[in-house]
Amino acid sequence: MNRLDYLVLVATILAIPLYGLWRTRGTASLGQYLKGDASIRWATIGLSVLATQAGPITFLSMPGQAYESGIGFIQNYFGQPLALIVVCVVFVPIYQRLKVYTAYQYLGKRFDRKTQLLGAFLFLVQRGIAAGITIYAPAIVLSALLGWRLNLTIWLAGGLVIIYTVIGGTKIVSITQRYQMIVILVGMAIAFAVAVYRLSPDLSFESTLSVAGKMGKLEAVSFSIDPHKRYTFWSGLIGGFFLALSYFGADQSQVQRYLAGGSLKESRLGLLFNAAVKVPLQFFILLLGAIVFMFYQFEKPPVYFNQPAYQRALENGYAPELTALQTQFDDVFGQKRAAIRAVVTASSNERDAAINKLRELDAQAHALRDRTKTVLAQAGVDPKSKESDYVFITFILQQMPHGVVGLLIAVILCATMSATAATLNALGSTTAIDFYRPLIRPHASDHHYVVAAKALTAAWGLIAIGVASFASLVENLIEAGNILGSVFYGSILGLFLAAFFIRRATGSAVFFAALFAQALVFILFATTNIGYLWYNFIGCAAVLVLAPVLQKTIFRGAQSPAGA
Amino acid sequence: MKTGDDKSDSQSWPKAYSLALSLFAVEVVLLYLFTLRFS
Repeated sequence: MNRLDYLVLVATILAIPLYGLWRTRGTASLGQYLKGDASIRWATIGLSVLATQAGPITFLSMPGQAYESGIGFIQNYFGQPLALIVVCVVFVPIYQRLKVYTAYQYLGKRFDRKTQLLGAFLFLVQRGIAAGITIYAPAIVLSALLGWRLNLTIWLAGGLVIIYTVIGGTKIVSITQRYQMIVILVGMAIAFAVAVYRLSPDLSFESTLSVAGKMGKLEAVSFSIDPHKRYTFWSGLIGGFFLALSYFGADQSQVQRYLAGGSLKESRLGLLFNAAVKVPLQFFILLLGAIVFMFYQFEKPPVYFNQPAYQRALENGYAPELTALQTQFDDVFGQKRAAIRAVVTASSNERDAAINKLRELDAQAHALRDRTKTVLAQAGVDPKSKESDYVFITFILQQMPHGVVGLLIAVILCATMSATAATLNALGSTTAIDFYRPLIRPHASDHHYVVAAKALTAAWGLIAIGVASFASLVENLIEAGNILGSVFYGSILGLFLAAFFIRRATGSAVFFAALFAQALVFILFATTNIGYLWYNFIGCAAVLVLAPVLQKTIFRGAQSPAGA
Repeated sequence: MKTGDDKSDSQSWPKAYSLALSLFAVEVVLLYLFTLRFS
């Protein structure tokens, strides 16, 4: 990075919050602080919802995921358009009619206080940890590759977000997310264009895609019914539907985004905008990863993308082993490049043999990278994030022109800030409205609750930075976030669906059904190896099956609150 | 915050949802064709 990059980076990440602070000056009432105001239109809501979901992980990890395992991850989003329509039809009108600040207030009105607190508590635990991951994920990668201090990076990204979110509340989150998302979309479009431009001139774009497909990177849709296959049409449609329904219907960080609309119409349009654009957007981000993969078939990639870790292993006395592996990798790379040309020029008779040869060489390259990872582990180098998370950022730093590098680092930080701001805003609001107001100060003034919401937002920001400072990731960054969500979302969604659709269910039956469902998901998570998206379905189904059973047995005769 | 939408709005929502569903179906079909073409 040079001065131009730093100029673009600093200007981008500072200008948007400053503009947001100017636009939201004078925000005072509790309603304005927690819900924004009626001036927020569907386009802002739509971009805000998109930015809240995306986060830095989407732009940092997803191209790396496609580089490593292909674009099949796109199927995880197949349930989302359906879920968004259900949210528009069922959830949004109820939240708007009851004029709630948080989704969990609805549970309190429909059932009782303990069910409201359970829903809010599950949300706080899950999102509190997720906020830490959102800050930590880009910080660990940027600090490793740019030489920034990890804690300084965490505090810079997290500190700025805390300041403007605490001051401006929901409205500033929506406004800043709109412009941050525009920066992100422009940045990713430029990255895509540059990546295509940098592809080998020896192959047409179509031939490049064809070879990527032969190497297993472009299987977007698989109708396999193998439950152990992580990404399929069915798991994406069913598991993804329940994940998205829970996320958009019952996760306050999203509910708060669309309740910020001026009307039911603005909220619904913002959500339908997401239903239309999410799958194509994710497809292009994943395709970008596949294009980066093809770029590195002609331009020699490092044997291990996390170069700082690799350098530490060299310094720890493992240079002979690593150099030998690098030599073999270089040799395979040269053969692979020739094999790709052979695939493209082969006659139809020779084509299958050429493709098999290419796949064999690719498997050898994979094996060499795995052996390199083993050597790094023996060297005591223990990278805290998956190697694939370094692929796209390495491509940015080494292949993009100056100025664009700064813009793309700004994209990652904008994504961090926008997702974190929405989360902190929701955590602060939920703690203030669902816990502080009913349990600690039930009859204080509006101004008192605004101050409390600000203090609690700041407190959650500090907790998120604390989690980020001590986090060490166990899996790919995208997976960590999605797994965490899937473990909790099923039972939260079950609470809401029971409220909407099981008319006779009472608070106690649903409360204990949700507790049992959560325990069941924890046990399955610890003891089985099923695809994590299924936890959304299992947790939700367990609540919906158990609640009526408990209602008819243990809690027979209990009454639901009237009018909810 | 306005909570109601007018009558013409409520009549147009089913069309909006159908449009969103149709768009999604087209997206999946295109992705499947993409898979068949390049895999």
